[in-house]
Amino acid sequence: MSGAHPLHRVAIVGVAATEMARQLDTTSAEISMRAALAALDDAGLTVADVDGVAARWPGPGGTVFQPGSADWAEVFGQPLRWVCDTYPQGVPGALDAAAAVAAGLCETALVFGGQAGVMGGSAVADYTRPDNEFIACWGSLTAAQFALVAQVYRHRFAPDPEQVAAIAAAIRNAGSANPAAVMAGRGPYTAADVLASPMVAEPFRLLDLCLATEGAAAMVITTAERARDLPQPPVAILGGGAEWHRQQYVNPPRYDEVWGLGADAAHRAFELAELSPLDVDVFELYDINTYEVVRQFEMLGLCAEGEGADYLAEAGIGIDGRHPLNTDGGLLSYSHIGWGGPTLKIVEAVRQLRGTAGPGQVPNAEVALVTGAGSGAQYHNIMILGRG
Amino acid sequence: MEGLTGELEDRSLRPLTGEFWAAVNQGILVRPVCGNCHRSFFVPQFACPKCQSTDWAYEPSSGRGRVYSHTTVHRPPTPAFDAPYVLADVDVEEGWHLLTWIVGCEPDQVAIDMPVSVRFITGPDGQQLPAFAPHEAAQ
Repeated sequence: MSGAHPLHRVAIVGVAATEMARQLDTTSAEISMRAALAALDDAGLTVADVDGVAARWPGPGGTVFQPGSADWAEVFGQPLRWVCDTYPQGVPGALDAAAAVAAGLCETALVFGGQAGVMGGSAVADYTRPDNEFIACWGSLTAAQFALVAQVYRHRFAPDPEQVAAIAAAIRNAGSANPAAVMAGRGPYTAADVLASPMVAEPFRLLDLCLATEGAAAMVITTAERARDLPQPPVAILGGGAEWHRQQYVNPPRYDEVWGLGADAAHRAFELAELSPLDVDVFELYDINTYEVVRQFEMLGLCAEGEGADYLAEAGIGIDGRHPLNTDGGLLSYSHIGWGGPTLKIVEAVRQLRGTAGPGQVPNAEVALVTGAGSGAQYHNIMILGRG
Repeated sequence: MEGLTGELEDRSLRPLTGEFWAAVNQGILVRPVCGNCHRSFFVPQFACPKCQSTDWAYEPSSGRGRVYSHTTVHRPPTPAFDAPYVLADVDVEEGWHLLTWIVGCEPDQVAIDMPVSVRFITGPDGQQLPAFAPHEAAQ
């Protein structure tokens, strides 16, 4: 045990996601707490077991002091040993909490977040409207930042638009079959439907792009030793890593700098896991748009630069394909809940490894890959999960 | 958005970037140039990202460059912007780059590597902005 890598001394023992919708009639704090309590329930634990929180504080109430995660000590009615305002949740939150548990700074960390009562109006979500003075004055938005990267890719490699659109259709059809998805029951979609949807920022059409919805997600991380006494089969963090190229939405992302973003983190993660990308049974990739899915397969080295769309068309990305991905419908169709959204990727990966993923279950999934952020955001993170 | 409801903000008072905006107000494009390694950089930072020297100054740019990438935005982030407009990342010839708009031509005429020159425009908030136009059109 003492010889194991610190990340291998912890386990994910509980996960939860609340209902998801375009708008929820509650607050970010309340929906976040509901996810947190549900994840604890899933883990067979209660708030009395929690001594670490990575959540930030959305209000109402509390203070404006940092770290906002400390405000949860008040709501939970007990002091904490470790807090961390991880941005975003998902992989960075899981890795921060895992490191804290492995180092003994706390024993059981709750990572959670989401949003409610904030969407609506004539403008896009405020987190997709960067407010830097050299970005906002031009009417940029996150979709456009990612589009600047995808446009260079198109210029150099001219991927088949039908093949790229087919990726969005496949993910959206997975979401259609997921009763919890915001877009449940919609579709089925074809590549032609995607190509016929309204243009937002070239080359992205509406159906190429992720949702901006409301809901919350949570996970519980504790020691592998304690996990053995808990009801759920533990899920191990086999490897993980992050790359921060630069702060997002200050300077525009440049294809030549960011198309391969994540390759170094992936290399480190797979080395630690003693696995290769070919060993991954299910991919829960950050699908903020379809070109990012193409990009990540090239970044992982599963195909050459410029060949991702061709490769995925041949390999297959459905449950019966070589690379099943975004089995819950992803950010395109299931939900995207702002800075808490990346945790949804981990929730679905954990359920896949437990064999409880429902209609999107990949038979006998033993290794899952989770990613977050992407080229247009100029940071990327990755985590490999396995049965503990 | 600032400016839509009344008095325009005096951007020349902004810390770090005031001199850039003051020049833009006079129809001059400037960029930070490092006094130590002599390289240009953008966006303005308190220290040169190449050598970390804090000894830098704004110098006028030729305002000529090429389109590194571009995207036509059809759905703006807020109603303050009239779509479509062409967002672009322009490589300026002194070795720096910036997010901007391509104006002076139809969106479908914009291409990667196209030569462009600065052309000052009035933005949606009433303030001057350094956009770029196809080099021929800018003459």
